[in-house]
Amino acid sequence: MTLTTLLLLAAALIGIGIYGALSQQSFVMLMMGLELILNGVMLAAVAFWAFSGAGVPEGQLLTIIVMAVMAIEMAMGFALVVAAFRGKQADMTESLTGLKH
Amino acid sequence: MFSELFLPVLMVIFMLVVGGYAVAVLDRLVASALGVPQAGGIWLAPMARGAWLLTQHANATEAPDWRAWRLAPALYLALAAGGLAVVPWSASLVATDLVTSVVLWGSVEALATVVIFLHGWSANSLLALIGGYRYVALGLSYILISMFVLIGVALPAESLQFTQVVASQEGLWNVIRQPLGLPLFLIVGLGMTFWGPLNLADSTDLAGGTASEISGPPRLVWDMARAAMLVAFSGVAATAFLGGWLGPWLPGPLWISLKMLAVLSVLLLLGRLLPRLAPERCVTLMWVVLLPLSFIDLVWAGIGALL
Amino acid sequence: MESMNHGLGVDIAFLLLATLAVVTGWRVFRTDSMVRASFFLLVSFIAVGVIMILLAAEYLGVAMFFMMAVEMTVMALFMVMFMMNPAGLNPMNMVHQERIAIGAGVAGFLILGAMALLATFPDQPVPAGLEPVRSLGNEMLGESMLIFESAGLVLLTTMIGVVVLSSHRGRYGAAAEGSMPPGLEPGGDPAGKPEEDEAGEGGHHHHHHHH
Repeated sequence: MTLTTLLLLAAALIGIGIYGALSQQSFVMLMMGLELILNGVMLAAVAFWAFSGAGVPEGQLLTIIVMAVMAIEMAMGFALVVAAFRGKQADMTESLTGLKH
Repeated sequence: MFSELFLPVLMVIFMLVVGGYAVAVLDRLVASALGVPQAGGIWLAPMARGAWLLTQHANATEAPDWRAWRLAPALYLALAAGGLAVVPWSASLVATDLVTSVVLWGSVEALATVVIFLHGWSANSLLALIGGYRYVALGLSYILISMFVLIGVALPAESLQFTQVVASQEGLWNVIRQPLGLPLFLIVGLGMTFWGPLNLADSTDLAGGTASEISGPPRLVWDMARAAMLVAFSGVAATAFLGGWLGPWLPGPLWISLKMLAVLSVLLLLGRLLPRLAPERCVTLMWVVLLPLSFIDLVWAGIGALL
Repeated sequence: MESMNHGLGVDIAFLLLATLAVVTGWRVFRTDSMVRASFFLLVSFIAVGVIMILLAAEYLGVAMFFMMAVEMTVMALFMVMFMMNPAGLNPMNMVHQERIAIGAGVAGFLILGAMALLATFPDQPVPAGLEPVRSLGNEMLGESMLIFESAGLVLLTTMIGVVVLSSHRGRYGAAAEGSMPPGLEPGGDPAGKPEEDEAGEGGHHHHHHHH
C-alpha cells in the first residue's frame, strides 16, 4: 500500500465513474457514476493526507467537505428526478430536452 | 498476545453462538413468568426448534435474487458480530478498540437498514417487500435517535471510543447522568431488532414480513441473527449507560455480562408486555416525540459537559 | 503510525479491498437490477472506507460506512419508485453514447494513472504522535470552523430547496393545475396577473407551458 497504488485505485474508480456518468440514460444511474467519481476523489485526498501531507488536518477536512457535496448532489438530484418524473413520467435524461431552451 | 488478540475474537464467536440460545431461553422464561403457557421444556425447546429448522427444506419463491436472499441473514449475523466486537469486556479485553467505535456502532445500525431492506426485497414477494419498506421508513428515525443519544455519552468521555466512555463513568453512570438516554436507546434497540412492540418489519399482520417466505436453515440463521443483534445491542447499552465492566468485587467481564443480562431481560419483558404499534403511528411517535426528546438529551449532556 | 511501516497483512488486505472496490464499482453499471446496482456501489464505498481506516483516517473510514449506507438505501428506494425494472427480472442496458463514454473513462484513468506514476509527491507521512480524529475535530471546530459551518448552511439550504423543488403543492394549490392566486372578487381573474390579449373570457386560465 503506497501512495502510487492508492492513486491508481482512485484513478480506476474515477475512470469507471466517468464512464457511468456519461453513458447511463437513467438519471439515478448517472448519479451513481458521479458518486463513484467522488469516491475516488475522497480516496485520493485521504491518501495524500496520509503519505505526503505531513498529517495536516485540512486533508481530512477536504474529505468531509466532499461527503457534504455528495449529500447535496444526492438530494438535489433526487428532487430534480421527482420534478421531472412528475412532468414527463420518465426518468431518462433524453426526456429533459425542454431544459435546453 | 493470546489474551489481547484471540480471546476477544473467541468471545465474540461464543456470544454469537450462545447469545441466540440465551435470548430464546430468556424469552421463554419471561413468557412463563407472565403466565403464557410454553410448549416443551424451557431449556430444550429452542434447541429442538433449531434442529427442526436445520432439517427442513429451504423455501423458494419465484425468481428471487438468490445471492442477496441467502446472503442477507448471514450479513445481519455479521453485523451483530460487528456490534459485539465493539463491546469492551474489560479495560484491555476488546475485539475492536477503534478510536471511533461509537461511530462504528452507528454504522452497524445504518447497515442493518440496508440488510433488512435487502432481505425483504430479494425474496420477490409482496409481503416481504412491504416489510422491508416499513423498516427503511422507520430505520432512519431509529438511526437519528440513536446517534443523538450516543453523541450524548461521547461528550463527558471527550472521546468516540467505548473504552473511554466506560472510563468516564467511573464516578457516575450515564444512566443517572443523562436520565433520558437509556430509555430512548432501549426503544432504538427494540426497533433495530424489530422486537415486540416495534416488530413492524417481520410482524404477523404481514404474515411474517421480510421473513414470510423463508424456512429451513436460512430461517434459523435469520432468527439467530436477530437474537444476536439483541445481545449486541444490550452489550452496547450496558457499555454506554450502565458503566460497562465497572463494578466492585467481581471481575469486569462478569459485570458486563450481568448488565447485559439485565438489559436483555428488560427488553424481552417490554417485548412481551407492550402491544405492537401501527407503523404510521410509530413514525409519528419517533419523529414528533422521541427525536425532540433525544435533542433535549443531547442539550442536557452538553450542559453537563460544560459545567 | 501503522500505515507507514505496515506489514504484509495490510498489503494483502489492501489488494483484496482494492479489487473489491473496482469490481463492485464496475458491476454497478453491468447489473440488471438498479437496487443491486446501488448496493454494489455501497460495497465499493465500504471497501474504500476500510482502506481509509488502514490509512489511519479512522473517523473518515467509519463515516463512509454510515453515510453511504443511508445514502444507498435512499437510492435503492428511489430506484424502486421510478424504474421500469427495479427487480432485475429482465435484462437492462440503458446507455447512450457508449463509445464516447468508454473513451472518456479510459482516458481519465490513463491520465490520472500517468500522473500517479510519473509525478513525484513529497514524502511526508503522518507524524507518529498525531491523533487523526482529535486533529480533525480541532480543525473542524477551530481554524476551519467557517468552512465547516458553511457546509452545514449549504446543506440546510439544500434541504429547503429540495422540499420546494419536489413539493407537489404550490402556494395557491397543486402545481400541475397552474397554482393561480385567487381573484380579487369571487370568480374574477387571478390577482396580480398582467393583462393578456385574450383576457375577457372570464373564469380561470390554465396555462400549460410547452417548449
